[in-house]
Amino acid sequence: MKFKNTLYITLLFCQFSFAQQVQKDSLVVKELLEVKVVTATRTERVLSSLPLPISIITAKEIEKTGVTRLNEILSEQTGIILIPDESGFEGIQIQGLDAAYTLVLIDGVPIVGRNAGVLDLSRISVGNIDRIEIVKGASSALYGSEAMGGVINVITKKPKKDMLSGNFSYRYATFNTNDLNANLLWKKNRFSANVFANFYSSDGFDLDKATPLKNVEKFYNYTINPKLYYDFSKKVKLIISNRFYNQNMNNVALIETEYYKGDAEEKEWNSQVKVEHKLNSKLYFEYELYATNYKNNSFLEDESKVLYDQTFYNQWLFRPEIRTTFSINKNKLTAGIGMNQETLDRTYFNAIVKFNSQYVFVQYDYNPNQKWNILAGFRYDNHSEYASQLSPKLALNYKINTNFSLKTSVGYGYKAPDFRQLYFDFTNPSVGYTVLGYNVAEARLNEMQDQILKKESGINFDEPLQAESAVNCNFGTFYKKEKFKLEVNTFYNSIHNLIDTKAVAQKNNGQSIFSYFNTNAVFTYGLELNSNYNFTKDVMVSFGYQYLTAKDKSISEHFQDYQYIRNNELQTIKIDKSDYFGFYNRSKHTANLKLLYTISTIKTDINLRIFYRSKYGMFDSNGNQILDKYDTFVDDYFITNLSASKYISDTLLFQIGANNLLDYKEPNQIPNLSGRQLFARIQFNF
Amino acid sequence: MRTNFLKLSLLALVIFTTSCSNDDKKEELVPAVITQKFTNLPAPATGGQGQPEGGAFTKFSFSENKIVTSDNWDVAFRGTVIIVNGGAKIGIVDEPNRTGNAAVSIVSGAFSTIKSIPLASTFKQDAAAIYAFPKSGDNAWYDYNSNTHLISSKAGKIFVIKTHDGKYAKFEILSYYKDAPAAPDLTSTGRYYTFNFAYQPNSTTTF
Repeated sequence: MKFKNTLYITLLFCQFSFAQQVQKDSLVVKELLEVKVVTATRTERVLSSLPLPISIITAKEIEKTGVTRLNEILSEQTGIILIPDESGFEGIQIQGLDAAYTLVLIDGVPIVGRNAGVLDLSRISVGNIDRIEIVKGASSALYGSEAMGGVINVITKKPKKDMLSGNFSYRYATFNTNDLNANLLWKKNRFSANVFANFYSSDGFDLDKATPLKNVEKFYNYTINPKLYYDFSKKVKLIISNRFYNQNMNNVALIETEYYKGDAEEKEWNSQVKVEHKLNSKLYFEYELYATNYKNNSFLEDESKVLYDQTFYNQWLFRPEIRTTFSINKNKLTAGIGMNQETLDRTYFNAIVKFNSQYVFVQYDYNPNQKWNILAGFRYDNHSEYASQLSPKLALNYKINTNFSLKTSVGYGYKAPDFRQLYFDFTNPSVGYTVLGYNVAEARLNEMQDQILKKESGINFDEPLQAESAVNCNFGTFYKKEKFKLEVNTFYNSIHNLIDTKAVAQKNNGQSIFSYFNTNAVFTYGLELNSNYNFTKDVMVSFGYQYLTAKDKSISEHFQDYQYIRNNELQTIKIDKSDYFGFYNRSKHTANLKLLYTISTIKTDINLRIFYRSKYGMFDSNGNQILDKYDTFVDDYFITNLSASKYISDTLLFQIGANNLLDYKEPNQIPNLSGRQLFARIQFNF
Repeated sequence: MRTNFLKLSLLALVIFTTSCSNDDKKEELVPAVITQKFTNLPAPATGGQGQPEGGAFTKFSFSENKIVTSDNWDVAFRGTVIIVNGGAKIGIVDEPNRTGNAAVSIVSGAFSTIKSIPLASTFKQDAAAIYAFPKSGDNAWYDYNSNTHLISSKAGKIFVIKTHDGKYAKFEILSYYKDAPAAPDLTSTGRYYTFNFAYQPNSTTTF
């Protein structure tokens, strides 16, 4: 559901109260309007004219759903599937690619601190978000590593007019969940400032009361995000932004039959200093310094308070970058140069590890005539730990008429081996297996010689571990006429050098030592469709759908190794190649239907969203190591979210709702699905 | 010259085919082997959980269709480890001496479709630091699922055994859990093997 407001309307939206907002909407929503985005090109562009698959979530849409964290609003979007992956952590899947392959930015700069490659998106509050821009498909040509499956850019609100404005809100929900927000925006002449503060706490939830562990333990967190802006002149502007996040969560573990308790603390700090310099009408510069630190510390004690286990994680990223845009008539040449300095110190690493990289990118946004837009660019990354990467991209948009356009893009994306894949040194204390990072494996294997029974043959660490890489193609259409909009995009990703664990040796205790290797080639393809229709100014409906196939190339090519399965009587039977279903955790069909109904007479909005996910498999259940149609699947399901917003006065909004209204639960198979959550929210705008 | 060669080849082919079919006819006289199921063979182990595994192996004889304690065992089980009575000690704790000449060849297929004995060169025996039944890789008999912590026997892995006294048997492991539940879970009791096997008492090259 994408409201198409002009920038001017967005600007008004930040300033005026909601009653006025409703009136504005009544005027503009008759026709779907244009909106501008920055993530796709790093310059401002009209969304519909872009040759890439991109979508946007506006502040207004977020507000109407009544959700509070980034993961919740993203999970309501077509083609973004929030699910725990094989590591057990919940992340987003885009075009069939796991969470490790999506870059997440706040105001254009990246968030660090991943667990087994997955970012916990509930770290980010939606309380001060202006809009979220989502670019699907490989975007390494602008953003480098991690942007192999896509980029999510969270853009926060900015003061735009000389006045003090803002809002306070409080939301209470099931599981004793509290969300308290304060957002102040102030501007006077050249100075402006914005302070955002959020407190969020919950008792968590427990799908199986018989076990001592909850699905989510009790926690609280807070975010403080002060930003300062100073305009030296109309041409030179300074922006200083800081964000602090702190979370404390109960840490509980059951090891063998012993029950351990403790705390887990997370701390995050992001700091961005940016100078925007408009030299003349043709030349524009941005100088940006970014630093971020993500830390976590956790411990476990036994019942007599004796320390059992302690872990820590401390990651730093420092990144200066300079960008410039040179406008030549209607065309724009954008270039950037920068460097990354990353360090990580954590449990299971022998020493602090450092990555250094330098990069340069160039992009040409070419508009030869009214019909064509061509976007061509590349990025070159030079890295201290792995081979340099050249990531090109080409995208074309052809406007057949004012309502209808075709777009296509081909791009290269990659994800560098991460710290863990290179430097991990971990032995599971209860089971006894060992996982070694690729760069330390050889030396550690030699040190562990007396524990090793046998090394696997054909294993060597001579060649450095390669970055995972993807070639991504998209072909789509954009159609808009009056009250109707339809976007269709087909995608194909061919991924090489996927990094996976492989046993390198057997230990005397019968367990294996694993390390990381470039293994498989995989492919994903599918189709995404988004449509909306405004029946009247008070009724709007949208429908979204994604079809997805994600398969391992080597399984298709060597199917004879996987053709035998065990039936219910445990006897072996032979299956066909066409029975191969594809990757674990991928549904072929996902869809959503959203209805927004405004009852103008009583100033109330009703917002109903229904989500569908078709069956998917979590593991092989019939003995052939792959997911085939005879395996046990997680059944398809529907989730319904409903919210109602009532504008009591110009400044006061009252909202009630239910997420997962019909209380769908599958405790054994979908551990992140909590059941029905009722909420009430009050918001005061000024 | 060429025609002669062709004729000779044809003749050779005819002789070869007929002799083969003769063999087949002979074979048909031999009674077909019977597929039997052995349930709940206990394979306890001490240690584990990071410690070296220990304890006595449970020895099995295909000809006797039972657990034996004598030296005429063919294969033996402890936890997920399977050894053959042939070759030399691998070098693990509490390992019995090899007294026979047993070996294993691993083939793929549905159990009933495995009719012939594989080439002699494919048979492997235990040796120092070498498991004739590999513990990992494509020919390991099981998969371990790190999410469910369950051991599942790979489908279509058939183990053709040359027994300690030079006869042949084939077997397929169906389950690692007591009473062979179709869908084991964490409450299932492990280290109980259920397997199908067929023993060929005659010195022929087929089952």
